[in-house]
Amino acid sequence: MDDLIKLVRTYRVTAGLAERIRLAEEIFRLIEPDLRFFVFSSVSHHAAEDALQEVLKAVATGMKKFEGGTAKEFWAWCYRIARNKLNDHYRSKAADRMQPTPPEEMWRLIEASAQDAPMSAAVRHDLEYAMKLLTSSKPECYEFLWRHFIIGLDYGDIAEERKMSYDSVRMKIGRCLDEAKSLVS
Amino acid sequence: MAELPQKEQLALHEFSVRYRAALAKQHQTPEQSLDTVRDAVREQYEQEQEIKRSPSVEPPSPTPEREPDEPER
Repeated sequence: MDDLIKLVRTYRVTAGLAERIRLAEEIFRLIEPDLRFFVFSSVSHHAAEDALQEVLKAVATGMKKFEGGTAKEFWAWCYRIARNKLNDHYRSKAADRMQPTPPEEMWRLIEASAQDAPMSAAVRHDLEYAMKLLTSSKPECYEFLWRHFIIGLDYGDIAEERKMSYDSVRMKIGRCLDEAKSLVS
Repeated sequence: MAELPQKEQLALHEFSVRYRAALAKQHQTPEQSLDTVRDAVREQYEQEQEIKRSPSVEPPSPTPEREPDEPER
């Protein structure tokens, strides 16, 4: 069984405070980077750290009541909480809603991380191509492509988020990718 | 519907991996996050203890009837 879900299950039945804190630390060391990425990709960066802390608090508080049995269910539950928290956040601070990250900023970050592990010409070519696909997309398509390919949400997650059917999301992403491809070439 | 184009998917995947790594590097210390988690767990634990300590809810005992005043003489 996945380590993450083992930890979550153990956490649910643990009574002592010290042990609960130890387990929670282990769980959040595993999930924090992905939740951070999700939040920082959804809210403007100056507001993202506060929003992330709210999300982490909500997940930590709710974990005792999580009823699923698989890591996939746990991730879906975490993202649902994150989305709800971000929606609350948007309602109170509409200006914080994400603006597409400027391409220069993405490049700056990627270049900085490549200093330790230089990228090959082929990888650089792929990254430039990916960036062109994203930046040439219309805003709505950019959102779909970003959430599916970059954040890693599956069709079902996006369908729930957008209140669309699974197949509509699948087709939309296919159309958006085809469109981006034709705009770039 | 046709399969999603492979080359584009791979390029976007590579981009995701690199961008994610870059962002994680920029925000390396999750100490603030772990503090938030510890506080939330502690707070929840204290609430549970509080509930355990508080007496179970029972219907309030009827207020004893006041003894009638003695008639004035």
